Amino acid sequence: MSAPSERVAVRFTVNGWPVEQVVEARRSLADFLREDLGLTGTHVGCEHGVCGACTVLVDGRSVRSCLLFAAQLEGRSVVTIEGLTPAEGLSPLQQAFRDCHAMQCGFCTPGMIATTTELLAREPAPSTENIRDAISGNLCMCTGYVNIVRAVEQAVAARAAGAGG
Amino acid sequence: MKPARFRYARAATLAEATALLAEAPGDTKILAGGQSLVPMLNMRLVRPAVLVDVNGLRELTGITPRPEGGLRIGALTRHAELVASPAVRERAPLLAEAARHVGHAAIRNQGTLGGSIAHADPAAELPAALVALDARLQATGPRGTRVLAAAEFFRGLLATALAPDEILTAIDVPAQPPGWGFAEIARRPGDFALAGVAAVVHAGHPLTPPSPPRGGEGTDSVRLVGFGVGDRPLRLTGAERLLAGTPLDLESAARAGVTAGLDCDPPSDVHGSADYRRHLAMVLTERALLQAHARLTAAPR
Amino acid sequence: MSHRTGGWVGRPVPLKEDARLVAGRGRFIDDLGRARMLHAAMLRSPHAHARIVAIDTREAEALPGVFAVLTGAEAAARSGPIRPLIPTTAGIPDYCLAVDRARYVGEPVAAVAAVDRATAEDALERIRVQYEPLPVVVDPEAAIGPDAPLLYPELGTNVVWHDTLTYGPVDEAMARADGVLRERFTIQRYASTPLETFGGIAEYDPGTDVFEFWTNDQRPGLTISVLAASLGVPQSRVRLSCPDIGGAFGNKRRPAYLLICALLARKTGRPVKWIEDRIENLTALMHACNGIMDVELGYRADGTVLALAVRDIADEGKNLITPTQHNLIKLGNIANGYRIPAVRYEAWSVLTNKCPSGANRGIGKPFMCFAIERAMALLARRLGMDPAELRLRNYVTAAQMPYTTPPGAQYDSGDYPATLHRALERFGYTARRAEQARARKEGRLLGIGIATSVEPAGTNLASYEIITGRRSASGSAEAAMVRMEPDGQVRVSIGDPASGQGYETVIAQIVADELGLTPDAVTVTRGFDSTTTPWLYLSGNYSNKFSVTDVGAVVGAAARVHAKLLRIAAHRLEAAVADLEMGGGAVAVRGAPDRRLGFAELARTAYADVLGLPPGEEPGLEARHAHQNPLAQPMDTDRRVRSQLVFANAAHCCLVEVDRRTGLVKILKYVVVHDCGRELNPLIVEGMVHGATAHGIGAALLEEFRYDAQGQLLTSTFMDYLKPTSVDVPLIEVDRLEHPSPVTPLGAKGVGEGGAIPGPAAVANAVEDALAHLGVVVRALPITPEQVWRWLR
Repeated sequence: MSAPSERVAVRFTVNGWPVEQVVEARRSLADFLREDLGLTGTHVGCEHGVCGACTVLVDGRSVRSCLLFAAQLEGRSVVTIEGLTPAEGLSPLQQAFRDCHAMQCGFCTPGMIATTTELLAREPAPSTENIRDAISGNLCMCTGYVNIVRAVEQAVAARAAGAGG
Repeated sequence: MKPARFRYARAATLAEATALLAEAPGDTKILAGGQSLVPMLNMRLVRPAVLVDVNGLRELTGITPRPEGGLRIGALTRHAELVASPAVRERAPLLAEAARHVGHAAIRNQGTLGGSIAHADPAAELPAALVALDARLQATGPRGTRVLAAAEFFRGLLATALAPDEILTAIDVPAQPPGWGFAEIARRPGDFALAGVAAVVHAGHPLTPPSPPRGGEGTDSVRLVGFGVGDRPLRLTGAERLLAGTPLDLESAARAGVTAGLDCDPPSDVHGSADYRRHLAMVLTERALLQAHARLTAAPR
Repeated sequence: MSHRTGGWVGRPVPLKEDARLVAGRGRFIDDLGRARMLHAAMLRSPHAHARIVAIDTREAEALPGVFAVLTGAEAAARSGPIRPLIPTTAGIPDYCLAVDRARYVGEPVAAVAAVDRATAEDALERIRVQYEPLPVVVDPEAAIGPDAPLLYPELGTNVVWHDTLTYGPVDEAMARADGVLRERFTIQRYASTPLETFGGIAEYDPGTDVFEFWTNDQRPGLTISVLAASLGVPQSRVRLSCPDIGGAFGNKRRPAYLLICALLARKTGRPVKWIEDRIENLTALMHACNGIMDVELGYRADGTVLALAVRDIADEGKNLITPTQHNLIKLGNIANGYRIPAVRYEAWSVLTNKCPSGANRGIGKPFMCFAIERAMALLARRLGMDPAELRLRNYVTAAQMPYTTPPGAQYDSGDYPATLHRALERFGYTARRAEQARARKEGRLLGIGIATSVEPAGTNLASYEIITGRRSASGSAEAAMVRMEPDGQVRVSIGDPASGQGYETVIAQIVADELGLTPDAVTVTRGFDSTTTPWLYLSGNYSNKFSVTDVGAVVGAAARVHAKLLRIAAHRLEAAVADLEMGGGAVAVRGAPDRRLGFAELARTAYADVLGLPPGEEPGLEARHAHQNPLAQPMDTDRRVRSQLVFANAAHCCLVEVDRRTGLVKILKYVVVHDCGRELNPLIVEGMVHGATAHGIGAALLEEFRYDAQGQLLTSTFMDYLKPTSVDVPLIEVDRLEHPSPVTPLGAKGVGEGGAIPGPAAVANAVEDALAHLGVVVRALPITPEQVWRWLR
């Protein structure tokens, strides 16, 4: 065991790519992703875990990257909005968001995508109420949530149609 | 909002973690889920010199059924695991329900049972559920391991019986009776409760008088615990006494509720006054008891 | 007016911006950086009111990683005061940092530039400030009183404006009224709090003596002017650009912070970035004014309103830059769609030791609408009339358009009665009333609330003359550039930086129609760049002006390019312009399709083969156009003025259930019928209605900036300042009428502020309706569960 230190060596993967770096202990995962790795799709809205703008996936589960230190991520796998976007075009979920105009300023959107990605992975056919509940930890100041709920409903329906057809 | 500087260590074993804690007990903080700690760090409300990351300690994980009934739950168990675990849903459904009310998915994925207990926010769901379940908390430090009753663990606002050089390692939850209820009111879903009540009712009519808390498991027939209504999870003893020797029904639940309101000493803050919280405690006690009644009635004899 | 109608404008074209935003490819201010950039942090006053006796920065400066510390004294020595947008007669200089006194908790007192934000915050803790606390005033009525602590003793008062404006024979009308309804309403401080906070980067180039800024400031024209004046440099040596902006709603404008970064940049010789954190945002950026309004409504027994008198106290916090802004807008919208022939408005704009007020979504209209719509609901109850019926009796009708209100606002078009009828129909008003009655028998408390409102767009700055006594800025205008590039593709830029309204898509639709293209062939430059985007002092995103003013600039510039393309084609095809038609990215002779020139070919002539141009024709295919809204006029001698210019309208109907045991309010159904004239892109319009209505719901039930008696803000995080979530906002059902405006280039009206205006009143009316049997009167916001519980007791 190494003695407590202000600089910490950490190794993990981000969007499938290996990352190995020495970081300041107090550097948040959000700041690390944005500034050290240039993955600016993850946004910072409050730094106290309430707004959800910074939500990413760690080992497939949604987490607030503003409440994690980069140093904690040893051996873990992080997926950000950049990793949830295909090389060409948009994912079906993203396409649904676009079709339904489920964003206006776009600042909450990466966090919404992370949260709803997890929802759709956990529940095959969430009801409207489930959807509203699942995204209730992601604040949006622009859309009033109406189109976001519609987009997730559309993604659910598209998946069911794809699976059934 | 960046934290003050700190040194960080990743503990590989429980012994390492306790050794690190012992070096500077007042100035070292355990980093488990971090969902309560990190906002405070970011706001510089706390500035420990050292943060010990215990997330790698396998010995603090796991949900294990106990032969004598109930569960042993590792302190590092995430809230999301409590919600999803078939063992918890079967043997301690009150705990699963309480965990369901904590924050939102991202918070539940990270936040831990041990962390919630050690942080001891009086409006938190899980400490109250553990008091209602008469759980036992296991803590390890340089002086060895000891067991504390949840009922005696919470000492005040953000204050517990845990010594600064101790770490919570496991929570023992006794077999939970079929009669239980959980009700809370918050301004928005996932917010800290304005008030809440966890109720555990042992089967048997009429109910035997409750014994004074003295340790041992399942000695009391009714355990009513309020949260958000005092500086710690609060046994609503007046209401419990009122229910002693009385069948649990709509009328006794309502009367218990009224008494519960008087048992409370709630805070006043921007979200609600003491009076309002007292009123909610009354309503929620009634609701929790009616849930327990419904479950008791439906339970196989 | 546009030459082209139909086609792309009016269609729900999916947004170009959404493709990048959903992939996380937006570029917001905190995503930008400059080489060798430093990061700033602000030291803020912990006192609501205190003398700054001494500041010792030596320990902070000595911290490794710190490059500069700036105090108020230095800022005052090295920069001029911030020029006010609305200069009241107070004339007190306001610098970018507090100098001799701090006047609200969170006021910046010093600033640090360091290698990173964490180090800068470490340095803040090493700055030693000696404060001498002073008495605090947080209540606006107390602030007006004779013994109030004064924010500016040299002013002798906290009242920066107090005046009475009377339009028509108010006293006479009140005297002959069958009754006068009197009520007092209060509204809380709240704000739209865009999810992205405010920030900027400043860089100084000593070689060219140029200051360069990158920022999400939503009024770049104004801000450049202020920065240049404070820095003492000509505007030609200030450059400002805006990237993607994560929501603005009026909140994103504080030149003082950019000035602080500029001073630090000049001092350190390195670029300096500052991004506001959430606590700073909630504490110190801006709040909508809280206030108190006393309303008197004189009426006839049949419900006709004869006169309206309002006493309005607007609590501005510490605001010397834009005080009275809320007052002016309230005055301009005071009649709210009703035919009220006589109006009196007495108002105070008062300073207190709180966060500065600012232009939140609606700027005062939510409170004005709340007061009027609440008064109408109470009047209906008093007269035993249905609340919808009372409104229908008093609306300005379609036949009366255009209608000028006593203070001078001109409602250009619209059918307010039809809007309400449609809303009631969509809501199922009769069925909901029956449902309410049935529920009451079961012991459930349902309530129905109606609120209707006019929704103006475009602000005429000449209205400031009411306050200042003179005209400096005036009118409503915007500038745009349409350029066909040498390859025939089109690029557009506009002086109004978008913050989620979909300008890139709508502008592409407009230009596509003008030039016979598809929107894909039109690229709208993101954001703003003062060296390449055309702009005016009046440029920027405010007052819903896009659909009513900006589009005129786009249409005008596109029309010039259109005309030039025809002239060049006519010359090359040896035809008359009248014989040509444009479409499919080309110009052709009508009836002779083989005589055709594509845009790329025409552009080649314009840019490269310039000898092929018609004689006297200038090379290039670029046009700039600035459009001025023709309705704006100066104030007249009776102090009437069109302070806002084009009027949409809406009706909101809301069904709530009140939990009689806990006081929690749940919205069961919410219907909006609105009329914003011609909808340029229905997808965008509907999104605006949803979002603005959500702001109204938040203000009604959740949001409040609360202060204690010492001026400490008790709600400074998102844990305590409660924003509506997806569970708090119901499905908002939207329907529309479409009465095009006769006075805008495309017939469109404003749509951004919309639902935020009647939303609070609709919800409040619904809650009161649920509790009407108890005689409850809703006079204040927000309506908390505890408040409801107290009413129910």
